[in-house]
Amino acid sequence: MRLTQLTIRTFRNIAALDIELPAEGVVVIGENGEGKTNLLEAIYYLVLFRSLRGAKDRELVRFGDASFFIAGEGPRRVAVGYEIAGRRKKVTVDRVEMKKLADGVGRLTAVAFAPSDRTIVAGGPTGRRRYLDIVLALSEPGYLAALSAMRQALRQRNAALRNGHGDAARAFDAPFAAAAGTVARARRRWVAASAARFQDLCTTLGEAGTCSLLYAPDHHREDDTAGHIEAALRRTFARDTRRGMTTVGPHRDDLRLSLDGRDQRTYGSAGQQRTAAVALRLLEAESLAAAEGSPPVALYDDVFAELDRGRQERLLALIRETLPGQAVVVAPRESEVPRDLLGMPRWTMRGGTLDRP
Amino acid sequence: MAAIEDLIGELSKLPGIGRKTATRLTYFLLKQPPEAGRRLARALDAVATRVGPCSVCGNLGETDPCVICEDTRRDRSTVCVVEEASDIGAIERTGEYRGVYHVLGGHLSPLDGIGPDDLRLDGLRARLSNGSSVREVIVATNPSMEGEVTATYVRGIVEAQSVRVTRIALGLPVGGDLEYADNVTIARALAARREME
Repeated sequence: MRLTQLTIRTFRNIAALDIELPAEGVVVIGENGEGKTNLLEAIYYLVLFRSLRGAKDRELVRFGDASFFIAGEGPRRVAVGYEIAGRRKKVTVDRVEMKKLADGVGRLTAVAFAPSDRTIVAGGPTGRRRYLDIVLALSEPGYLAALSAMRQALRQRNAALRNGHGDAARAFDAPFAAAAGTVARARRRWVAASAARFQDLCTTLGEAGTCSLLYAPDHHREDDTAGHIEAALRRTFARDTRRGMTTVGPHRDDLRLSLDGRDQRTYGSAGQQRTAAVALRLLEAESLAAAEGSPPVALYDDVFAELDRGRQERLLALIRETLPGQAVVVAPRESEVPRDLLGMPRWTMRGGTLDRP
Repeated sequence: MAAIEDLIGELSKLPGIGRKTATRLTYFLLKQPPEAGRRLARALDAVATRVGPCSVCGNLGETDPCVICEDTRRDRSTVCVVEEASDIGAIERTGEYRGVYHVLGGHLSPLDGIGPDDLRLDGLRARLSNGSSVREVIVATNPSMEGEVTATYVRGIVEAQSVRVTRIALGLPVGGDLEYADNVTIARALAARREME
């Protein structure tokens, strides 16, 4: 996928930006705090309509302003505006307003590489579920709808449990289990289909050991049918009532990453975790490319500086192979951008504005 | 000034009306002849004093039982269960239904503090229990998750009384365009496809 034009208004420290993006991409150089990451965040906002960094929408509005607006022109024109006063978000695709935000999700696709990706590997299961959810929401039709339905049923069920309404809580078992089954099956399928490629990617990136990717569902066993999940809910009902929440289901799944049989989260070195994180992002890019028919836009937030020369070169070789599309690379100094990528047009960012030669 | 403020305050409690709109409506009324305001006040007063729920079905009206429950030409062996009294109007406008109704007064939504005890389910149970002439209950709650859950709940109650229970069909809107229908609707319409007659 290629993004040809980008318009940003009062987003983070960017007051106004109207740019045409070169087909191959661009390298943006700027000191910390000048707005490079904000530029990437704005582009990625067009994919999920949520902050890449987990920030609240109102925090994305430029200080002192009342709203922000971002539009990107690719195979389709996707635009999103947010207003603090009404907490209103409006998404349009080819200038038609989407009734639900979800209908606009994934019309433009991108994958963002950032140093903080290491927390996917090193942090808790929430980050890994979020990773799985994003990949599947963008590559698997129906996944996002099932995920939203599951979350809605879960909120209702938990509220009933908290209020001591066992009957009402049980009434939400069926819709929860139906949606949860779809979510769990999609996760299991994706992990099974991706495990071998994950090993490949890690090896190519210079990892000597055996890297495995394993779906660790909370409901155990190799059975993701709604019936099985409903039975699990019935079994844990007494515990759920005591705790006032649903203690079984895909909202508690994990994606287990291990190196030579040992959990990467606990035993991986910083370098090994970084390699696994980069491999996950490449896997994400490949899944999106397979679903879309063309590679997503690649956004690199200062990721090369962290890797040693050898890994840097191996990563570049992989990128050329799996992500041959458009790239936006941001870094504080040219010396931190691999020479190969410096062939792209180079812009500088200062105080939220771009200088183009 | 207190009278104006009062009216703005009252109007802004209405759904979909914020303070700004309430202010605009208030000043609009103030510009009209005084009789217009009095007519509105009388209409509100009449609704507040004369309209109430039907003790049989929960429909809103000026008589109890309501005009539908009183109508002897209606088929009392079929009861259509709806969430709100306003849903009755929607079904009545089709002219296709000759049975009677039962209004639940909402749907199950623990997040909003609405449990089974907050819906008119006891009333429904009573209508179906011994010696009842009801042969079929049509569940016409909304096709939302909460509406479906409520429908399942109602089904349990109806089946316990050995009465036939049916659910209104879900699918594509008539005169609609397949291309513009949302994914969930199309998926459900496909799942509920049937032989062509």
